[in-house]
Amino acid sequence: MTVDEVGAFASIQRWLEAHGSHWSRTAAEAERLRKLEVMRRYCEFAERDPDALVGNLLRQTPTGARIWLKRRRAEMARIDEFEAMVAPDDPRSGRETANVVRSFFIHNGVALSATPLR
Amino acid sequence: MEYKQVIGSRRSIRYFHPYRPVEREKIQMILEAARICSQAVNSNWAKAIVVDRDELSDEDREALKTPTTTAQLDLAPVWIFWYGDPSAPAAGQRTLKELVDVGALNPSHGWSHAYVDNVVWTQVLTPIMDNQAAVLAVTSVEAGIAICQALLMAVDLGLGTGINAFNSDKAKAVLNPPDHWIPLWVQLVGYSAESPEAGGQRPRAAFESLYFEGRYGTPFERDEKVVEDLTAAGMLQPPAPLPWRRDEVRALARMFGLPE
Repeated sequence: MTVDEVGAFASIQRWLEAHGSHWSRTAAEAERLRKLEVMRRYCEFAERDPDALVGNLLRQTPTGARIWLKRRRAEMARIDEFEAMVAPDDPRSGRETANVVRSFFIHNGVALSATPLR
Repeated sequence: MEYKQVIGSRRSIRYFHPYRPVEREKIQMILEAARICSQAVNSNWAKAIVVDRDELSDEDREALKTPTTTAQLDLAPVWIFWYGDPSAPAAGQRTLKELVDVGALNPSHGWSHAYVDNVVWTQVLTPIMDNQAAVLAVTSVEAGIAICQALLMAVDLGLGTGINAFNSDKAKAVLNPPDHWIPLWVQLVGYSAESPEAGGQRPRAAFESLYFEGRYGTPFERDEKVVEDLTAAGMLQPPAPLPWRRDEVRALARMFGLPE
């Protein structure tokens, strides 16, 4: 999957739009490409495309979307693994990269967080 | 801090200085404030278990987190788990008579030991205790009053605080509360990493839509002079969001390595 292909997924567009709207700013092109590259790498790592990543965690019910709790825990653990893998010698940089993925899930309605750096 | 300012300055704080411990005496003061709250039947409805974040094993600490409280649980050094005790009125016959004896409930208002024994205990308290929905409602309200005082005391002591939902099954396994206690909230306590305004006073529904005079539908008229006085006293403060709030949140998120 290329960065352009990643950028075409509905969940990616939803994320970028919601993120920009929440923070009242549109990402510069370089920042947008950096984020898409992180998502491309994560999709490769998780062996799922962006929409499938989100779809795997949400199930539709008559009262609205619900989150699969065990799957979310597994996804959070996978993001932690990704964080450790992308910058093994630089925890801050690894965190920054993994937070792109967390932001993607959050703005698609999957509440999750990270352990704060202390 | 002046009382009105304490009320006005309370915010649900979600960013704490994780490295700064809270003095034990301040935690005791918070509990002391809860203990002397207004309580029906003079029974002790609110119970609490205080947990020092750093005393927990990694496994237990992780178990107590939920997806949206992960960050603040990690950041707050003290967690107070509040429970409601629905068995509290079981001592009501004794505690009400204590109130008669100390001059709180008086013959001028019809109170006596005989009234407690023959009427209140048999015809009021016992039926309430047998009615699960009623006892749940009373327990929640009464414990809530205690928790409110605990929150305000924390604010008065210069601490950041806030109440959050918690995973009661996991907490049961870690904290071992009695089976009949009803899990309510976990109150997080620490030194706030947010500015004292924490972005401004939260949005609230219009005064007149909440409070009525005489009968429902006639709004209680809000006197702007009173509003001015309360603003001057620091109870009514600038509303959220203050112009710099987004920048503050972003800076805090970056400081702690949290997602945006």
